[in-house]
Amino acid sequence: MIAQRAGTTVLRRVAGKPNTFFSANVAKFGLAQPLSTTQLRPVATQKITADEAAALLAKQRLNRPVSPHLAIYDKQQTWFGSSAWTRITGASLSGTLYLFATAYLAAPMLGWHLESASIAAAFGALPVAVKGGIKFLAAWPFAFHTFNGVKHLLYDMTIGFHRKQIVKQSWYLWGASLVTGMFLAFFL
Amino acid sequence: MASIARSSLLRQVASASRVSMATRPALQQSVLARAATFHTTSKRELLPPLPQRIKGTVNDAVPVPEPSPAQGSYHWTFDRLVAAGLVPLTVAPFAAGSLNPTLDAILCAGILIHSHSGFQQIIIDYVPKYRTPTARKLFMWGLNAATVVVGLALYEFETTDVGLTEAIKRIWTA
Repeated sequence: MIAQRAGTTVLRRVAGKPNTFFSANVAKFGLAQPLSTTQLRPVATQKITADEAAALLAKQRLNRPVSPHLAIYDKQQTWFGSSAWTRITGASLSGTLYLFATAYLAAPMLGWHLESASIAAAFGALPVAVKGGIKFLAAWPFAFHTFNGVKHLLYDMTIGFHRKQIVKQSWYLWGASLVTGMFLAFFL
Repeated sequence: MASIARSSLLRQVASASRVSMATRPALQQSVLARAATFHTTSKRELLPPLPQRIKGTVNDAVPVPEPSPAQGSYHWTFDRLVAAGLVPLTVAPFAAGSLNPTLDAILCAGILIHSHSGFQQIIIDYVPKYRTPTARKLFMWGLNAATVVVGLALYEFETTDVGLTEAIKRIWTA
């Protein structure tokens, strides 16, 4: 048994029945040190600068566990939420525009033909199903983004911003955008 | 020097724990082995934390950014106005069936401003200024350059080619 821990076991034994004579005279009889409850743990410390300490802390923070969020929370709100998909559809439409515009400016240097006439001719030569498919891939994000954009503008004016309504509206808009996308792609 | 001392300390602690492990009773060892297999799914890091940055000492509060109505309130209102204005602008040319270069130009400008604003929001959300300042600056300036390029391209398309609405109409009905 370690000498320091012996004090705690002794204290536990006497705690059940405190003795007034003992407690009054513990210091006088020099019994305090063996009854000490402080543990002596030999440990080495090093001096590091404040910058090193901050860097160490910043590195250690990366080891903290991250609470699961997207993997476990209500997938209807997180993976199919309308704000997320408004952003995704908007980013894909704008991204396509940005890429096409850059390619259009670079085309003469690279020998490509990206004028509207050549694109229309190439598109017209594709089979009907492929044409419909590509048009749907462009029409559905546009319809979804427009409908949800209007919905968010209404929310900004605090119209229709209640939990039950939001859940229903979300599903109505998914359906409406799919129907509108198909109409625009196959019937226009 | 400090790192050498630290690694030697770690080695001492590791060897001490190894010695005590051998002398621990069998029950404790099996409990530890069972605890290690507690997780039923593998750890998947969706969106791991970005690099951590500590300004000043650890006891200083994180600096709060300066509020600015131009960056905040007015920017937001301008955003909503452009978005609301785009709704009739997009539908009108195709519904009316007629071409108007001025209308087309306004539509292109509106789409450009709306796209730029949207991309800005994405960058602001996913590249925080406090933790990744250089990446944030890079992305913002890259976006500005890209928007200028797209503006030029749209101008070229309007003047030398048929224009956005007419091109879409022709390709759609090709």
